[in-house]
Amino acid sequence: MHHRLLLLRRGAMSIPPPPAPRMPGVAGGRLFASLPPPPPLQSPREVHVWYLCPDELIDRSQLDMYTELLSPSERKNALAMNGPRLQKDAMLSRALLRTTLSRYTDANIDPRSFEFKKNKFGKPEILWQSDESSMEWPLHFNISHTSSLIACGIAMDTPIGIDVEEKKRKTVKSILSLARRYFTPLEVDYLAKISDSDAQQREFIKLWTLKEAYVKALGRGFSGAPFNRFSIQLETNSRIQISKATKVCNDSASGCDYLSENWRFALAELNSSYYMSVCIEDNSRGLYSLFFLM
Amino acid sequence: MASVAGSALSFARPVKATNTNSISLTSARKGNAFLRMQPVPMRFAVCCTAKKETVDKVCDIVKKQLAVPEDIEVSGASKFSDLGADSLDTVEIVMGLEEEFKISVEESSAQSIATVEDAAALIDRLVAAKSSEKPSGKPLE
Repeated sequence: MHHRLLLLRRGAMSIPPPPAPRMPGVAGGRLFASLPPPPPLQSPREVHVWYLCPDELIDRSQLDMYTELLSPSERKNALAMNGPRLQKDAMLSRALLRTTLSRYTDANIDPRSFEFKKNKFGKPEILWQSDESSMEWPLHFNISHTSSLIACGIAMDTPIGIDVEEKKRKTVKSILSLARRYFTPLEVDYLAKISDSDAQQREFIKLWTLKEAYVKALGRGFSGAPFNRFSIQLETNSRIQISKATKVCNDSASGCDYLSENWRFALAELNSSYYMSVCIEDNSRGLYSLFFLM
Repeated sequence: MASVAGSALSFARPVKATNTNSISLTSARKGNAFLRMQPVPMRFAVCCTAKKETVDKVCDIVKKQLAVPEDIEVSGASKFSDLGADSLDTVEIVMGLEEEFKISVEESSAQSIATVEDAAALIDRLVAAKSSEKPSGKPLE
């Protein structure tokens, strides 16, 4: 994978210059040996995001090596995708996850060794072996992809959700009709006030990725946490707020007890073409940092 | 859970048989209840098989939304996850289906829909439920 390192940090610290690009080793065993170890995850307030662009990865032998890291069921699932492009994306998505997780265990765990389970809503999590000789690492992850970019977010000791979308993604339905059908009245009003249609479309995409990141962080996904039960507000001083839509919650049979508001959001641009939203649980006060690693 | 041939059972949602080995049936005849154990084929359901024309319409809407290339097949058996539909695609597809069939789909129903056929079966059920609510008994336009 072409890994370029770019560090972004909020707060008073200056941004270090990006190091020179490094190419991964080609021999199987040394596949990622030439990559620098990732910066450590220093606290539960830190999130690292690694991403790649599948279109840049065209070396067949390299792709085959990544495929070799997958479990048989992952390979099978990837091959079940409709068409070679989707198959490649599925393979790379799993390879990115496995290699990233491995690097965050100081390469103590081979990428091939990870096993995964799904929660009742289908969110994947690491399944740690109950073998005493292996350590457990309090790593949480989440993956998102668009047709041209796959991102993997990593956090320590906190559930995480991430969603990426092309800024200019065109929808078949109109923005306001989508918002009226799926968002809250508060959010519809926010969008309806935007007169420029391109700006309105971009704000919609921002809200969409934020809401997706939230329901993925909750571990419930879109169908487990309908979008019209909570509002996200993009405040002018760029603080992102979430609140339950109390009327809808009170009216609904199942209620909204599963919705909590103690979550922290970050919204960023990637590669100038994408919006990315990250959501982690907010259990402490203090500075949050978000690193983007390409 | 599966439907039984010869009985008019209605389901809360489209179902796949999870146990193909046996089902039990209790007769409603007074004083003569009995159990019948018989194997039933997977997914056999009198009311829950989608109509071909519904499946075809769903395929069209899906193909259009996902801009599926001509050489890639989309059929009843196609799984949404294999078609590369992300959540925004999925909601647009659902909206398209709601408009096409004049129904409304709960977000939670999405959890039980894996294939195009599942979606078509859900649509057929929602359309049937809607027309049975109409007092005049006239079919939907």
